[in-house]
Order: sequence, then structure tokens, then C-alpha cells
Amino acid sequence: MIDVILQAFASIVLDPVTLGLMLVGTLAGILAGAIPGFTIAMGVILTLPFTFGMTAIQGLATMLGVFVGGFSGGLMSCMLTGIPGTPSSVATTFDGFPLVRSGRPGLALGLGLWSSFFGGMISAVILVALAPQLAFLGLEFGPWDYFSLIIFALTITVSLSGGNITKGLIAGLLGLFAATVGEDEINGVARFTFGFDEFKQGFAFLPVLIGLFAFSQLLTDVEDDKRAKSPLMSQSGSVVKVEHRQAILIILKRWVNLFRSSFIGIFTGILPAAGGSISNILAYDQAKKASPNRSNFGKGEYDGVIAPEAANNATAGGALIMMMALGIPGDIVTAVMLGALMIHNIIPGPTFIQDEPLLAYGVFIAFFVAHFFMVGLQAFSLRIFLLVTKIPMYVLASVILAYCAIGVFALHNVVFDIWVMFFFGVIGYFMKKLGFPLAPMILGVVLGKLAELNLARASGISDDLLLFISRPWSLFFLLMAVISVIFPFYQEARKDSLFSKLYVPISMIVLSLPLFLMGSPVRMIVSTMLVLTGVYFLYKRTSSLKTT
Amino acid sequence: MSINKDTIVAIFLLLFCGIMINSSFDIEDPGYQGMKASFWPTIVLCLLSIMSLVMLVKSMMASTDSNLNSENTNSQNVFLKFKNASICFLMFILFLGFLDYLGMLIGGVLFVFGLLTLLGGFEIKKIINHLIISIITIGIMWSIFTFGLKVILPEGEILRIW
Repeated sequence: MIDVILQAFASIVLDPVTLGLMLVGTLAGILAGAIPGFTIAMGVILTLPFTFGMTAIQGLATMLGVFVGGFSGGLMSCMLTGIPGTPSSVATTFDGFPLVRSGRPGLALGLGLWSSFFGGMISAVILVALAPQLAFLGLEFGPWDYFSLIIFALTITVSLSGGNITKGLIAGLLGLFAATVGEDEINGVARFTFGFDEFKQGFAFLPVLIGLFAFSQLLTDVEDDKRAKSPLMSQSGSVVKVEHRQAILIILKRWVNLFRSSFIGIFTGILPAAGGSISNILAYDQAKKASPNRSNFGKGEYDGVIAPEAANNATAGGALIMMMALGIPGDIVTAVMLGALMIHNIIPGPTFIQDEPLLAYGVFIAFFVAHFFMVGLQAFSLRIFLLVTKIPMYVLASVILAYCAIGVFALHNVVFDIWVMFFFGVIGYFMKKLGFPLAPMILGVVLGKLAELNLARASGISDDLLLFISRPWSLFFLLMAVISVIFPFYQEARKDSLFSKLYVPISMIVLSLPLFLMGSPVRMIVSTMLVLTGVYFLYKRTSSLKTT
Repeated sequence: MSINKDTIVAIFLLLFCGIMINSSFDIEDPGYQGMKASFWPTIVLCLLSIMSLVMLVKSMMASTDSNLNSENTNSQNVFLKFKNASICFLMFILFLGFLDYLGMLIGGVLFVFGLLTLLGGFEIKKIINHLIISIITIGIMWSIFTFGLKVILPEGEILRIW
């Protein structure tokens, strides 16, 4: 084990090319995170074509640099201009911007920077500790369980992507359908090709992804004539000197907030589809509730900066746990990373860490290293950020559209892929206009083939469909899927309604059943605790209903 | 009952599902044991049809979409709203259509220059800037992919003859 870790360490830290690529990746990530309208996912997607010519570890390390850099890049724009660069830094604006306006920009940036660093480090430790354990758990999964897990990943993406659940489900199903076009992997039979030979290979998922996400986003960005022609940011801020020492001391004094926020971030990252945009607000809310200085929140409270920044960087580690351990991408960024691995013929799954230990530990180490780069590059990237913000959106969008075309062509050296990107770009643009969330469709495309493969395996082993509900893990994921579909209705329901009061306790009781069926002592204890807590909540809430 | 944007989208989706379900009957069955090639797409399409039907019913039960009746839907406003996106579509189709003749280098430069000028404006100073930006950016990208990543980008008939 130690020799594998040392080898992985050498492949990252002692290889100047990999280090150089990570450095550039982190810088690009910080800038992508800092520019409003440019999400981290966009940054990672645009990095992807460059990784085709790299080794798997170099490609992943570069993308991790972008990923980590992106989470901390958002703090620059939100603190200096009051405009969050990414949705994952929205809550940082609440106290970061007032702190800057009160004359402490160096301290505000320092707090954000070092909270991101510490949050990332905590999640990196959890990633290293938890991913192999979760992978062992994944070895228990049969095709029935995998199929149900994919269904759960899709339904939770639908319920958390916001908006209309019907449209979310339609988007997810369209994604699943897009993945069926071409020769099927089980029988080698052509489907929905309509006589076109190009369709036989199916739609490569990266052109689809780049089209749906990046292409459609760029079209949206230039939609408004006035906005497209004006510089990216009207307020561009100024270069400030970061107060590192004082910021570190303040954060360490507030270690409870740091750890709580980091764990919120990790947990949110593990959940499919719940990314940094949710974790930073959750962590901020919890920090506010727990703080004795609650009234200072919104006026430049240190805890209000530490919580969201620690949480959003910790989310990155959480998201990687699912991808590394089970091969299920939790969000668009990890879906792209999964795609990058597939280009190198590596399919992540429960055996990934065992089969490709060098690559797996390389990812862990790259995740650590990226955080050091992120801290080191902040001052330099701040200067570049101030220059980039002067460029109008239409210039950036035009150049990136051309870059997307070149990048997509580089994937298989076929022009058809560029047409695919364009076609899905147009679809993505109109879907956005019509209120369909794109994340479920993207995950549908990514997970479609995997879902079909596992369904085929399951039906090949046994015709008994009841296995989907009689196997504990499969039942657990299917119940989770049902609970996640109902979740948006729970969010919309009035707080004093019967449904709203019963949703959580009944979900807990229902979920305890498959855990109990798993048989192992630990899971039976967890199951009993879930039942007891559920019953307690049920009793409290129903009795409060009676009194009202 | 009312008709709004969602109603039209739902009807379109139902038509799409109908065509695809019909097309799924043509999927060959090689006679192997196990799941047929048409099974999974049929399930997905059936679910998609059901959800589209739900969307149709919900949209018809919802109040009339003001957008359909308001001034927003008059052709001039629709054109203005989608003007820039339409320019991007058109330029991209032209770029792809002429890729075999122009190649990635010339085609890319012309695409970026054309798009910049159509989106940014036709003043002389801007046009010069756009030309410089398009040559530099595409030149750098082309060099990185051709020499750095060893990707053979479409050369185009013009450069080939030249």
C-alpha cells in the first residue's frame, strides 16, 4: 500500500509536467470561478479537450486543479464587487462584501482563502478515509442494486435541480433516451439510426455534454445585446494584500464552525446533485444559528465568511467520494471527470481503487496539492481576474464557441461530433428557455448506458423482477428515489400541514426497513436508531397537531 | 382549459415519443437470450410519453400563459430576443458547412471574426480589433492542438491545394 501511495505521490509531485498542468488548471479554475456567468462546471468542461493528449493521471490532476480553484475563485468577485462568481459563493457575499466595505479587504480575502483551504483539507482526509470503505460497500452491489442506485441518482438530481418536477423527469428521460441511440452494447443491434451510418456509434457523451451545458450557456450569455457588449463586470475592484497570518488565527479560533461547515460540505457533496450551491447556504445558515453574534451576520461577521467558504471547498471532496467509490457522478463536474477516465478506457466502479490504485491515490494526492496551489496562486490570479473582467461577454463567448468546436473534434477526429455538440447545444438552449433543468438530462446521458447494462445483467441472471424490491440495497435506493421525488412537494407544502410534518419521520421509518434487512449488526443498530428517531418525531409532530 | 407554451412543448414531445416508439418496432431482434435491444428504449419512451401527457394535462389546467397573448410574442420582439442566438446558430452552421473547404484554421478565424463583428458592431476600430482577436486566438488554439496535442485538425481544400 505504502509503495503505491509513494508512486502516486511521485507521479504528481515529482513530475514537473503534471505539476505545471495542475498549476495552469488551478489558475484557470480560479478565473472561471471568479467570473460571473462562468461556472466551475464550465471551466472543467472546457479543460477536457486539452486532457485528451495527456495521461489519465495528468488529465485528472489538471481537472482537479480547475475544480478546486473554481470553488475558491468565486470568493474574489463576491468579496471585491459583491457579485458572486459562482452559485457556490452566494452566501460568502452576505458577510464577505460588508467586511470588505468596512475597510478590511485583505482580511476578508484571507478568511475566505484559508477557510477554503482548511475546508478542502478536511474533505481530502475524509475522501481518502471514506472512498475505499464506500467502495468495499459497493462490492456488495449486484446489478439490481446498481440499477436502483442510478434511478435514485437521477430522481434526486431532478428534485434538487429546482423548478418543475415533471419537466425535470422529462429532461432525465430525454437524456436516457439520447443514450440509447446507436448500437446497443449488449446485442450490437443498431437503434434509432434512421439509415445514417454516423448514428451507429451513438452520440459520444462528451460532445453531448459540452453542447448541452457549455454551448447553450454561451448562447444564453450573449442573448441580451446590451449585456453582451458591456465588460464582464462593471465594478472590477482593486488589488489588495491578503492578511494571511491574522486570517489563519481567526479561523483556527473558530474551529467548531470550520469543522461543522466542512462536514456539511462533504455530506452535501456525497449526495448526488447537491453541490456547492446548496452547501454554502446550509453552512452559513447553521453558522448563524449556532453563533452568539447572530445579529452581526450580514454586517461582516467572520463566521459568515468562514462557513460558506469551508463548506463549498469541502463539497468537492464529497462529490469525488461517490465517483471514486461507486462510479456514479454526483454532478456535472464529476460526470466530466468520469468521461475523462472513460477516454483512457478506465471505468470507475467499486473495484476502481483496487484495480487502479496508482490512479486512485494519484487523484487523492492531486486533490491535496491543488489546495496548496490555490492558496499560492490567489494573489497572481487576482491581477489576471481584474484584467479579464474588462473583456466583453460577446468576445469571450465567440472565442469559446470556436474552442468548443476544436476541442470536440479532437475527441475522435470526426466532424460529426461537432454537429452533435451543435445539435445538443440548440436543444439545451431551448430547454433552458422553456424551463427544463439540464442537469437531469446530462446525468441521464451519462448514466443511461450503465442503467441499461445493469438491467440487462439483472434480467440475464434472473427473470424475477421482485429482486428489485427484495434485495435490501436495491429496495433502499428505490425508497430513496421515491422519497426524493416527493421532496419538492415537501418543500412547497405549508409548514403546519400534515404532509409537511409527517414527511421526515415516515421517510426515516421507511428507510430503516432495508437497512434492517441487510443483517449486519451495525446496520441493524442504525436501522433501530432511525425507527426510534422517526417514531419520536412522529409522536412530537402529531401531538403538536392535536394541540393546534 | 388553456393553451400555453408548455402545452405546445408537451404535444411536440408526445409526437416525438410516437415517432420513436414506432421506430422502436424496427429494432432488429437477433434472437439472443436475455433482454431485447428494444426493451430499454421502449420503457424510457413509455415513461417519457406518460410524463409528457402529465405535462399536457397540467399545462391545460393551468391559467393561460400571458406570454402567448402579450406583446412579447409579436414577431419583432421574438426576433430581438433570439437575434444573437440565431446569429450564433447561423454562423456555426456556416462554419460547419464550409469546414471541408476552409479547414479549421481559416474557417475558425472567419467564424470568430464573423461572429464578433455581427454581435459586437461594424465600426472600423472594432472590426480591426475583431480581426486581431480572431487571428490570435484561433492561431494559438490551432497551434496548441496541432503541435502540442498532435491532433490532426481538418486542413480544408483551400490549404491542401495551396
